[in-house]
Amino acid sequence: MPDLFSPIDFAIPAFVLLVVLEMLWARKHAPEKYEPKDTLTSLALGTGSQVAGLLTGGLVFALSLWLHEHRLFTIGWAWWAFALCFVLDDFAYYAFHRAAHRVRWFWASHVNHHSSQHYNLSTALRQTWTGFFALTFVFRIPLALLGFHPAMILFCGAINLIYQFWIHTEAIGKLPRWFEYIMNTPSHHRVHHATNPRYLDSNYAGTFIIWDRMFGSFIEEVEDEPIRYGIVKQLGTFNLLHCVCHEWIGIFKDVWSAPWSAKFGYIWRPPGWSHDNSRDTSETIRARWQEGREQSAQEKALTPAE
Amino acid sequence: MNAAWIELAKLGGSIVAILLLAWTAKRMGLGGDIRIRDNDHARRLAEEAICGFEPTDIVLDRAGIGALMKDASGRYLLIRRHGAQFVGRLLDGHSDSRLDQNFLTIGIGEKSFGKVTLNLGADAQYWAAGLRHMAV
Repeated sequence: MPDLFSPIDFAIPAFVLLVVLEMLWARKHAPEKYEPKDTLTSLALGTGSQVAGLLTGGLVFALSLWLHEHRLFTIGWAWWAFALCFVLDDFAYYAFHRAAHRVRWFWASHVNHHSSQHYNLSTALRQTWTGFFALTFVFRIPLALLGFHPAMILFCGAINLIYQFWIHTEAIGKLPRWFEYIMNTPSHHRVHHATNPRYLDSNYAGTFIIWDRMFGSFIEEVEDEPIRYGIVKQLGTFNLLHCVCHEWIGIFKDVWSAPWSAKFGYIWRPPGWSHDNSRDTSETIRARWQEGREQSAQEKALTPAE
Repeated sequence: MNAAWIELAKLGGSIVAILLLAWTAKRMGLGGDIRIRDNDHARRLAEEAICGFEPTDIVLDRAGIGALMKDASGRYLLIRRHGAQFVGRLLDGHSDSRLDQNFLTIGIGEKSFGKVTLNLGADAQYWAAGLRHMAV
């Protein structure tokens, strides 16, 4: 087994430098793109996530090693194995990420990455503390059973995470068409973080946007509609622990108070689902928005031209 | 043991770095001082907060840090500043309000959201009465 370095350790100084550069850009062009308290919350969530990873990563790695011992194929350490592992890991990330937006249990862990109303490089570092508790590792470890060594999966996952850093910015517009077609870009990922009804639940890709194009979850960024970021019900607080726990507490309260037949629905159904239809899901919000658009288009058509 | 110390040193470095970055953002004056400019701005914020909310009646805080709105079906929406952005909540049976001359203080029953005090001038009494008779 080759001695693999930790890509994240090398990337962190670059992350810090790029955040400072983006702040300088914001100062010149749009100071409201950064908010110091929001930045502090995002970065503290990132640091806490690293700590949580250290505390629980060993268990996931041990489980992956056990699966690797029962592997279906012996893939080894050839260069193409890294490339294949990276592509498959990115697909596993897509599957995880889609579930993280469509299943409330996984959303409870992922939501803090989205709960900032800002979209800048510090948002990229706004990572979960409760990923292990939510069992999100189940999406990636099947690669070990397939035959990829856990260290290789870890390495590819880290490269994927680093790739996703630079796309969290409004400082970069659209990139060349061929690049936008294959790769996840700032434009595609802005759409993913948007709360505009037209964009909800789309562009789940990590590195390659082709997964969204293949599985029907791709939406292109439109030029004439400013993007709003965050979550459908904005938090309204910078409290770190609230950011980490609010959705878990919400699940607990809902399961506690729901009738028996609906309890499980508050765990596995999409965020916003309720047994009495008293809340909004992405679908109901989008349908209402669509209805409003059609209505105003009809009114416009009926208004006589002056 | 050595590895544990290295990880602790990395954690210490990260904490120092994030504090420095947040301080830098503050020193650069990022975030700014945003206010609700007029009714159109408030209307846009309402649509952003609750898709499909069309206010029929709007009152702005005199300093522009918040707004209270009502729609045709009698729902009330509170908008307040949050950092360099705004957040909104529909008011319901958990909400409470207190009038003190021109100032209306509204709580929404969400501890993390806090209470909001709006300076509504002479309109404060009208809106306080509306909230007391709010349909929930």
